[in-house]
Amino acid sequence: MKPFTYLLKPIASAAIALVATGISLHAQPSAQGPASREVVESVDERRNQYLARVREMQDHRVGLYHEDNYARIDNSAMAILLMRGDEIEACNRRVLELMEEPGTGPFWMFPTAMVAYAGRDKLSDEARGAIRDAWRTTRQLRGDTENHWVMYHAAMYLMAQMYPDEPGSEWWNGLSSSENLEEGRSWLLDWMDITTTIGQGEYNPTHYIGEYAIPLLMLSVWSEEPAMRQRSRMLLDWLFAELATVTLDGMLRGPNSRTDDTSVVERWYALANYFSWQLFGNIPAGEGFRGWGWGNYFSVLAEYYDVPEVIYRIAVDRKHDILQRDRARSRRIWRYGDEHMRPIYKTQYLRDEYAVGSHQGGISDPIQSHVWDVTWTVDDPRGVHNTMFSLHPHSSGKVMQMFFCTYPEPMPHAVTYEGKPSYNSANKLLGCSPYEEVVQDLDTVIALYDIDPEANFPQVNGFFSKDLSDVTEHNSGWIFARGGTTYLAYRPLADYHWQPHIRYPNGRDPTVTEETGGRILTSPHVKNGTILQAADGDEFTDMVAFQSAILALPLSYELDPVPSVRFTSLRGKEIVAKYGETPYIDGQPINYGDWKLFEGPHLNSEVGSRVLTITHGPLGRVLDFNTLSSTDIVLE
Amino acid sequence: MQSTPHRNCFTRLTALVVALGSSALAAVAAPAYDFFICANVNQNYVIGSKIDTTNGLFRHDSANNTWHHFGYNDRTISAVAVDPRDHDTIYTTTLNGIWVSYDGGDTWKMTNSWDMTEGRDVAVDPQSPDTVYFALPDGIAVSTDRGQKWERRENGLPDRGKFTQAISPDRVIADRVLAGCEKGIYLTENAGRSWRQVLPTETTVNDLEQSPHDADRWLAVTDTHGAWQSHDNGETWNLITDLPNDRAIYNATYDPTTPGRQAVASWAHGVWTSEDGGASWAQRSAGLPEKPKAWRVGVDPNSGRLYVSVFEDTLYYSDDFGRSWEPDVLAGSSVNAFLSIRRENP
Repeated sequence: MKPFTYLLKPIASAAIALVATGISLHAQPSAQGPASREVVESVDERRNQYLARVREMQDHRVGLYHEDNYARIDNSAMAILLMRGDEIEACNRRVLELMEEPGTGPFWMFPTAMVAYAGRDKLSDEARGAIRDAWRTTRQLRGDTENHWVMYHAAMYLMAQMYPDEPGSEWWNGLSSSENLEEGRSWLLDWMDITTTIGQGEYNPTHYIGEYAIPLLMLSVWSEEPAMRQRSRMLLDWLFAELATVTLDGMLRGPNSRTDDTSVVERWYALANYFSWQLFGNIPAGEGFRGWGWGNYFSVLAEYYDVPEVIYRIAVDRKHDILQRDRARSRRIWRYGDEHMRPIYKTQYLRDEYAVGSHQGGISDPIQSHVWDVTWTVDDPRGVHNTMFSLHPHSSGKVMQMFFCTYPEPMPHAVTYEGKPSYNSANKLLGCSPYEEVVQDLDTVIALYDIDPEANFPQVNGFFSKDLSDVTEHNSGWIFARGGTTYLAYRPLADYHWQPHIRYPNGRDPTVTEETGGRILTSPHVKNGTILQAADGDEFTDMVAFQSAILALPLSYELDPVPSVRFTSLRGKEIVAKYGETPYIDGQPINYGDWKLFEGPHLNSEVGSRVLTITHGPLGRVLDFNTLSSTDIVLE
Repeated sequence: MQSTPHRNCFTRLTALVVALGSSALAAVAAPAYDFFICANVNQNYVIGSKIDTTNGLFRHDSANNTWHHFGYNDRTISAVAVDPRDHDTIYTTTLNGIWVSYDGGDTWKMTNSWDMTEGRDVAVDPQSPDTVYFALPDGIAVSTDRGQKWERRENGLPDRGKFTQAISPDRVIADRVLAGCEKGIYLTENAGRSWRQVLPTETTVNDLEQSPHDADRWLAVTDTHGAWQSHDNGETWNLITDLPNDRAIYNATYDPTTPGRQAVASWAHGVWTSEDGGASWAQRSAGLPEKPKAWRVGVDPNSGRLYVSVFEDTLYYSDDFGRSWEPDVLAGSSVNAFLSIRRENP
């Protein structure tokens, strides 16, 4: 099955063991080579390895600020030191400095709350007073995004809990401690209820999972309310169970509510993969934990989270393909849409060497969505662009207005200087479009496009990685390639040309770009489509055999008046898709209305139930938010 | 509505301003009005950054022709309202919701609940000043106790389509309010207990302004559904055909000093003015930066000076109602709202 082995596994294991025994290498053992895919059967060994990774992340972070440099220490390293009881005087000094110029929003609030709690019985009165004073004087912004609100309300809740019974004059927003505590609690409970009944808003984000997991971990440890601690712990299990299910050798792939220009092609780069590394140990870290910056905050309290075995095994112990169908929800839509939050229907098909994922298309998040892809495994994913997909590069001020309280003109340009540099580019690979509809069956995807000719970029972009091999533009119209061992057949439905794929080395400057060596298939036609068929390397003797199999598949399509495809997949399924109409598979319409919140071999939940059943083999855990119970079960 | 010159002014004062004229006003020792703006000075701020610039409320110092900041520093203030009886009672809408000060801006309290955030506009009913209206991206809330508590009053608004960008009480009839929403202009005559649509629109109504000279006259501007005027106190509306409607118009203003003068701001089309009560309009962008990104217009009722905020550029002013422009201070600013309030003892 797997053509490559993990020769460095013993080395990595040895390095982890050294750290676990207290011998500091100062280097990053887990960055030295590919990660192991072996299942660690021993509970104790799994836990020790987990704690070793916690220690490795912590040591790395603290190590950035050696003794002479503590004047620059950041909140995460300070929280680590305070939890350890180290360098307290340096922390006192640094707290006083940092509190002279407090920040203004959730990204300042939760790290500062973490330092306040980590140092509540260690920091000096003066330092604790400086933190307290900042929360009295400095106005905070709640943000405009769901992950912002989780951080904001969790931090306000915890700080109000730390300083109870104080009047509004002692808080930046004029609310009393009890009012702030209740405000935070109310929002968090409402969010948890929505999430456990109709799904996550920022589902499968490549980076923002940290903005959820870290506040939840803080609440699970530091809330004085048993119910809040329990809810938060259960929701961490919920988040990580889904992460385990949809990752391929630790890599989060599409679809993603939100991702970025780098992670959408270099799938390893995502912060979500820090959590795979931390929780499951099945993906290598980068030098300096590149791209995984928020992980240092999770590491502060990570020892207080115990990875349930059933979740660990879903991530690591894969003996069968996974076909998971789930529901999520779009970002909330203020206007120019019929629904407040649009249901998102995700299909995830994961095999040993590759995975295909999608949602039904349309608008989910205005800037950073990623609708579908096939992603394949590689021996070492760092720096590898191991994915293929297409999209309409949609850019629209009016769509921004759906989701933000903004006006049509300023935002499309402004966001390109706010970490979304490609937003207004025709060759971008990020975002969803109202003019895309996607149907997936197992490892076949059909994406249809009926693009408004007046749209900013009336074209379809297909991503062809620098890391593909055997790329062949066949005279049939199919393009064949290999990604790792995976066979790929990509069929554009309209004429195209090639452009170089570019990256943005500075996320806040869209004018600076570099070519990656990859290519973008650019198809400048508004009536358009893509068919993608993937297959495992073991299924065919060679590329010629794969090509023959694909060319033998029945295919017909039309582009006018609307794109439509009738295609019989490699798996023998007839897929009929017509833009604007319900797709059919083997004559049966896809009825999204019947989809459950989770349905698959590992995760199952009814819409509205507040109950998630997590299973792997005989192991199971039931998270029931109605009774606030987390129950481990064994299936006979 | 982002720009609300004269929203809370008294009719009798308007008459005084008109009678004196702008040049006469400039000669008196103290201006009759306080003139405020809500301004943001952006330097690529993103959520979480430290705010390096001074933002929020500024009061015009006419003696020195400059602006003085007061209140809190927040670059998300979208609108401001002041109690006409007590100028120390100030309401501001922000990303967080609504902030109320009862001491002239020294201390503030956030009085909205977590499900009433991203405030778009706020307005005091000048004939019933305990009643305050709060425009939200998902509807309208009303306070009857000077902003301490809020309740949603949305009966008659559409379930989808009640994104409310502008809210404007009638300055002469208590409890009568016009709301600019995604799907049109809505009118209440009972302090928000029920609303009815008086103009359907395909895109959001960005601003609503009542004439300081004739309470029956209103201006409304939209994203891409044109600019509209009413001559029967908002009951019926007529499209202003002289103004472009292919791109958004962000706000409108009347000139309190001169009947017939009005202006609108459009990112794509610049500043347009009328001097004949809206019968004809002319583009007045000469002297502004090329493609001026006109964000808001407002008129200083003390002088008749027309201001335009050019997005993240600066304020410009014109003493000939748009025929020529000069840059003011506040480099890098975008002004979200203009507001003038009559002084008790000018």
